[in-house]
Amino acid sequence: MLIVTVTALVIAAVSFLVPKNQSLTHLRIGYQPSTHQIAHMTAMEKEWWRESLAKFGINEVSDYEFPSGPPEMQAMLAGDLDIAYVGATPPITAIYEGLDAKIVAGVQIQGSHLVLRLEVDYTGPDDLRGLKVATFPPGSIQDTVLRKWLIDNGLDPENDLEIVAMGAGEAISAITAGAVDGVFLPHPSPVVIELEGSGRMVVGSGEMWLNHTCCCLVVSGRLIREYPDVVEQIIRIHINATKYNKDHPDEAAEIYARKVGWEVETVQYSLDTWDGYWVSDPRIGLNVTLEYAQVIYDLNKTRYDRVLTEEELFDTSFYDSIIEKET
Amino acid sequence: MTQLTSLLKKKIISFLKKKRIIEIFSSLVAIGIWEFVADFIVKNEFILPSFSTVATAFFDLLSSGIMVMDVLTSLLHLTIGLTIATCVGILVGAITGWFRVADRVADPIIEILRPIPPLAWIPFAIVWLHLTHYAAGFIVFVGAVFPILVNTYAGFRNVPKILVDSAEVLGCTKRHDLIKAVAFPSALPFITTGIRIGTGVGWMCVVAAEMFGVSKSGLGYRIFQKFYSFHQMDNLLVYMIILGLIALFLDSFFRFYIEERLLKWRKETVA
Repeated sequence: MLIVTVTALVIAAVSFLVPKNQSLTHLRIGYQPSTHQIAHMTAMEKEWWRESLAKFGINEVSDYEFPSGPPEMQAMLAGDLDIAYVGATPPITAIYEGLDAKIVAGVQIQGSHLVLRLEVDYTGPDDLRGLKVATFPPGSIQDTVLRKWLIDNGLDPENDLEIVAMGAGEAISAITAGAVDGVFLPHPSPVVIELEGSGRMVVGSGEMWLNHTCCCLVVSGRLIREYPDVVEQIIRIHINATKYNKDHPDEAAEIYARKVGWEVETVQYSLDTWDGYWVSDPRIGLNVTLEYAQVIYDLNKTRYDRVLTEEELFDTSFYDSIIEKET
Repeated sequence: MTQLTSLLKKKIISFLKKKRIIEIFSSLVAIGIWEFVADFIVKNEFILPSFSTVATAFFDLLSSGIMVMDVLTSLLHLTIGLTIATCVGILVGAITGWFRVADRVADPIIEILRPIPPLAWIPFAIVWLHLTHYAAGFIVFVGAVFPILVNTYAGFRNVPKILVDSAEVLGCTKRHDLIKAVAFPSALPFITTGIRIGTGVGWMCVVAAEMFGVSKSGLGYRIFQKFYSFHQMDNLLVYMIILGLIALFLDSFFRFYIEERLLKWRKETVA
């Protein structure tokens, strides 16, 4: 009896673990509640995803919110997401670990800010010596951009100041409580801190690394191989949503405010003060993304045997095909 | 012949018990099933890393030196939290268990605070204690203090009346003498059980306590800021097993050292 029970439990567990292949009728989209990814929110609110993909047999579109990139990519690795709006580095680390997916479109460039407490004098990077600055963990875009900028300005990120890793919520609590002297976070978090009176934005990430990639659109390998028409339509929707947001920034702010439950004025202030801009062309951030891949390789040299190439990370053919058809 | 078979049977059972053969055998079978399922059924190292992959990752991490540092840092956080939780838990548990008025005063506060998950305290840990080892210790404290407090309380509430009456007849009439000589020794089995449970809960909280930048090492720090960020499931599983093994060690320490040595007088119990 015991053997039968154990065997049944093992079989049940294994059948649960092994991914199943099903036809594509339900599109599952991952995103983060960031102003960087309003293109998805616009397409979702205006029902562009559902209406434009219905002709491909997709009768259900669901979006799933994630606090940061790593859990989002974890979900994609587990086969729970078909496409993801995400920062450029989490998919790189996931692809290093076997994620079957490619970056098919750009989403947004720059858009983070270094925020310092009001009492900290700041005239240049040298003033950061001896300070404690919170940002996302090593391997994230923010950590990578911050460290590169410090090195470019003659500072040693390991010894001249202390960089502590944490999430956006904890970082906001930390600077408010004076537990850190500054934070380097993507928008809209810097605006939240400034409006609360806990700090002021001093350097935009575009000033640190001009035109550095931030978010991108990742599509699963299964969709690329088995449903290329759907992928092309997904990118077309993304291009249209991005263009719409650029043409109607006030409405984009309203859509974001409705989606995450914020005040519209706060979102508008964030969009007025950030140095980011929305894109859809994957080539705009391609070279910087390859530099990120090198950084992630350097952090895990003992684990990875090579740096990921453009072909392994990107599939620009869909975007190119759409542009070619339009011109 | 029957006697010989019976003797042989007894000898085999005695051998198996003495040498922990059953435990070793069941562990080996579990490892074998794990390896088989990972290699031949799941066939995806991300979904289920095989035992051999995890073993390789273990030796890689051990040779890199970070593992020892991480274990020591996590034990430091546990020690800070558990020490304070033990002091506070025993003190408050004893007072509320012995004095009815104190119980009525503290009970609503304790019962409101007790169900709050330790993770919910993270923002206050940052605000009150900043990014220090004490902030991590605070999260461990929140997890560990209530099992100790509640068990101590139960221990003091359940002191047999006959013991108190006997002590009073023998001249032990002062309150603090009664607590010291009667109530505390009587409650000791409850207190040690509380500390044992509190240690386990506190150890579970260590992982959460190291998620928010309190240190640059620690088992929880490495799991969330490194292995999880980089989707290194084999390394993650190694640290999960280490967490389990350390918990097992701590629990065994309590079971076989504290309870058997400190509570030697409690021989006439069922277990």
